[in-house]
Amino acid sequence: MSVLAWLLPAVPAGTGAGLLAGRFAIGRRLDRPAPAVAVAAAFGTLCLAVAAALARPSVRFPLFGRSPAGLAVDGLSAALAVTVAAVSLAVLAFAAGEFAPDESRARFFGLMLVFTGAMLVTVTATDLAVLLMGWEVMGAMSYALIGFWWRDRERVGSADVSFLTTRAADLGLYFAAGAAQAGTGSLALDGLAGARGHWRDLIAAGVVLAALGKSAQLPFSFWLSRAMAGPNPVSALLHSATMVAAGAYLLLRLRPLLDATGWAAALVAWTGALTALLLGAVALAQRDLKQLLAASTCAQVGFIILGAGAGTVAGGTAQLVAHAAVKCLLFLGAGAWLTALGTKDLRELHGAARRYRLVGITFAIGALALAGAPPLSLWAAKDAVLGAALEDSPALYAVGLAAGLLSAGYAARALVAVGRPVDAGTRQETERTGTRHVGLLARAPLPVLAAGSAVLGVLALPPLDGWWRRLAGDAEAPAPSAAGLAASGALALLVLAATWALTRRGTRLRTAWTAPARDWLHLQRLAGLLIARPVLVLATALARFDDRVIDGGVRAAAASGRLAAALAGRRVEFRVDGLVALVGRCARRLADLARRPQTGQVHTYYAQAAVLFAVLILIALLVR
Amino acid sequence: MTRENPADLLPELLVLGAAVSGLLAGSFLPRTRQWIVAALCVAGLAGGIAAAALASRRGDTTAFDALVLDPVTHVTRIVVLSATLLVIALAAAPMRGHRRESEFYVLLLLSALGTVVLGAASDLLVLVAAYLLASIPGYALAGFGRDASGTEAALKYYLMGAFLGILMLAGVTLLYGLGRGTSYGTLRAGLGPAPDAAVMVGAVLLLAGLLFKAGAVPAHFWVPDVTEGAPPAVAAFVTTVPKIGAFAALYRLAVEALAGSAPGRPLLIAVIAAATMTLGNLAAFAQTNVRRLLAYSTISQAGYLLLPVAVAGRTDLARPALLFYLAAYAVTNIGAFAAVVAVGRDDLAAYTGLARRSPALAVSLVICLLGLVGTPPTAVFVGKLLMFGAALDGRYAWLAVVAAINTVASVFYYLRWIVPLFSQGTGTEAPLDRSAQWTAYLATGASLALGIGGGVVLTFG
Repeated sequence: MSVLAWLLPAVPAGTGAGLLAGRFAIGRRLDRPAPAVAVAAAFGTLCLAVAAALARPSVRFPLFGRSPAGLAVDGLSAALAVTVAAVSLAVLAFAAGEFAPDESRARFFGLMLVFTGAMLVTVTATDLAVLLMGWEVMGAMSYALIGFWWRDRERVGSADVSFLTTRAADLGLYFAAGAAQAGTGSLALDGLAGARGHWRDLIAAGVVLAALGKSAQLPFSFWLSRAMAGPNPVSALLHSATMVAAGAYLLLRLRPLLDATGWAAALVAWTGALTALLLGAVALAQRDLKQLLAASTCAQVGFIILGAGAGTVAGGTAQLVAHAAVKCLLFLGAGAWLTALGTKDLRELHGAARRYRLVGITFAIGALALAGAPPLSLWAAKDAVLGAALEDSPALYAVGLAAGLLSAGYAARALVAVGRPVDAGTRQETERTGTRHVGLLARAPLPVLAAGSAVLGVLALPPLDGWWRRLAGDAEAPAPSAAGLAASGALALLVLAATWALTRRGTRLRTAWTAPARDWLHLQRLAGLLIARPVLVLATALARFDDRVIDGGVRAAAASGRLAAALAGRRVEFRVDGLVALVGRCARRLADLARRPQTGQVHTYYAQAAVLFAVLILIALLVR
Repeated sequence: MTRENPADLLPELLVLGAAVSGLLAGSFLPRTRQWIVAALCVAGLAGGIAAAALASRRGDTTAFDALVLDPVTHVTRIVVLSATLLVIALAAAPMRGHRRESEFYVLLLLSALGTVVLGAASDLLVLVAAYLLASIPGYALAGFGRDASGTEAALKYYLMGAFLGILMLAGVTLLYGLGRGTSYGTLRAGLGPAPDAAVMVGAVLLLAGLLFKAGAVPAHFWVPDVTEGAPPAVAAFVTTVPKIGAFAALYRLAVEALAGSAPGRPLLIAVIAAATMTLGNLAAFAQTNVRRLLAYSTISQAGYLLLPVAVAGRTDLARPALLFYLAAYAVTNIGAFAAVVAVGRDDLAAYTGLARRSPALAVSLVICLLGLVGTPPTAVFVGKLLMFGAALDGRYAWLAVVAAINTVASVFYYLRWIVPLFSQGTGTEAPLDRSAQWTAYLATGASLALGIGGGVVLTFG
């Protein structure tokens, strides 16, 4: 049984590592079979995930001496694992069709598989140590994938920003692990809520920091904008089932901890709601389809976080699963157009949906789901979350509802942009040369994902919602009220229609109003100003301190040593030297004297011997 | 009750037998087969060493009322005979086919026999006889080469020996008159009531002969001249072997004959020791002839060896210090002379670059020279350690200080010899003497073995 728990992350991670190693060992010959190998591995992973969801395996092993660690699949993990595996398969199949043969495909698919494997480790880990391993590998893979086209310095810079931002937030998880070891004596996730005294608050603070960073919530959202620099499939995977989902998953998983502290749940709920609202506005202001989708990811993940904070694990998980399908679908569609038409600018994508009908139809389903239009998935899932928020506080509900309306707005904007016919002002290939072709393999995952986007809402609706809540281990979560469902559905439709009408008419807001939203609320500049610059200034000051004070001290010590040596050389050594020379001279003179008696003549020997014996006799008589 | 068992003197008898039969055989053997005499002598010496080693297991006795068989005698026998064996090995190549090859070995053996008896004698008359037996073959050996320098060396050696021998006989006469006997036991009892001044005069005169054999001030004048003039193997012999017997005799006189009288004796010996080591070291400083350098070095070593004699009877450490130092000195000194014989040249310049020609010989020479300084782990280091211990224990700290200063100073002239060994250039291309080389290795090995196994040797003794 435990073999399944090992295999689930091991199959993708091992295949990926093999591809990466083979890329170095064999070279580019591996690029040809790489997509097939990767898709097969992803398919195997999906099968394993389904099997694991049914069998619920678990494995425990000792780590760092006696600290118990393990991998286990419970209800929440099962939902996440199946989602991750399915999305990964869809993305890899799309990538196999879309990725040009001259790209370094073995490296790409290897990294993607390791990325997936790391996410699977993260969602099945039962303790902070193993979770951190998956978490870290995932961060590293995201860096490698965002900077995949490393010859372009701009993209590498984006990878740096993304990695540094998430990495800085990750420190919170290390902090939490240390606090957990101190507060509970173990790193087990289910024991964190029972930590003693202030340790619990420290753990919660660390976990919340790391999760918000990974999920690109306020104030870390800007890194997701920079993460767009990676290839399309990377965006699709990173925005739906991995990375951003990891932070949300961690908060859903550690809900008891958030509740136990008293403050963390409210903080998380409000952060999620505000992110949903503000990043919704950001999405509305974007002119680039991928940037719009990126901001909408922040906003939608904000609903999951809101769910975690408001206390509905089932609702949050439903939102997570549904959003994974929707966002994956939308990114793949956007990616297909970018490849085919060479642009992702909203003003230049006119007619795209008409030109590639399958992509257009599935994209429309995804966009409508994103808008919260009934009866599609996110409508129900979002309402499950909003229902819990209403129980928490009406203000939270109001913010959430407003955010929902904004999502209808930006979804409509995207839909209108791709749906309206080609006009005179439509330019294409502003970014790169389009292939004018969407391959079979690239199209294949779209209908499946569209179906998922359409129907996954049933998880939050009767009659399936009771089963789902039990699966998520959250049986008491409130069911969405019929009134709430109807109100939000109607409002979403209304906003959709209004936006449709306004954009058809070409109404534009003043650029000055939308500038902050278009620039992602200047979050990156703020982070640079408030965090990066002070840190650099501090580092420079410390370096100067090191150079001037500490180094100066060392140099001064050396200089004084040399000075003392010079003094000794001049004052002391001269005399010592003179003394030594004097001793040497005396010894030499004495040595000359000592050889003087050795005349070589026997009569002088006789005389000397006689005299010396006489002296000896004299001494003998005197000393008595 | 006098013990008169000839078997007690088996080592001496074996050596005497080898010498006499060697002399007889040598008269009849053709020149090409004179090596048989060498083999005979070696057999006699080896038998003597074995017999001495066996005898050392028995308790202390006195044989014929004239020879004491105690540890001093045992060590003297073994060291003298072993050193003679080494000298024979050293002389084997130069003497091969010599006209008087057999006489050379016989004279060596007779001189060694005299030296052993000198160390074992407990009667002044036997002492005088042993002195003559040890000396006279030595005079002949010194002139063995029949060249000008050898003749001069032999003559100087003989004249100094005759002069100091007469002083010694005068001292013996005086002590005989004062102590009414010549046996050490009788003397100890008889000299007690005698006037101290007269006893001291007698003792100083008696010392003259023994200091001559030991090569100590003021009877050292012959040492540099003979060492330089005589054949090298003979030089190695006369600077090493007679010393052993002389120091044994000095020690025995101090603790047995003069123990109860002559209160100024320790100080007198200490002054002689200080003068000897200082003079030897100072005179060695500027030498460019390695044999003269070694000659002065042996004089300074005689000074160190006098130190335990000075404190004899005042500390238990004196006897082991003296005996161990004697053994260590003998092998180390012969090792150094063996290197000189192997190279075949006397000037320092000839030793330039020896390390490249024969690394092993250079290393063994370095070990011997550093050994004479007293560097661990050689034997002389242990000897010096014991000697310093004896000096401090015998309340002669000033003498220990003088010895230490002299030791430091001696490094100078030994280094003057060591440094050229490893410098660039070649001093001489003459072929090396193989048997002398192997003798040097053997002596060096013995020096190291004695140094490292010093503890074992001391507990055994």
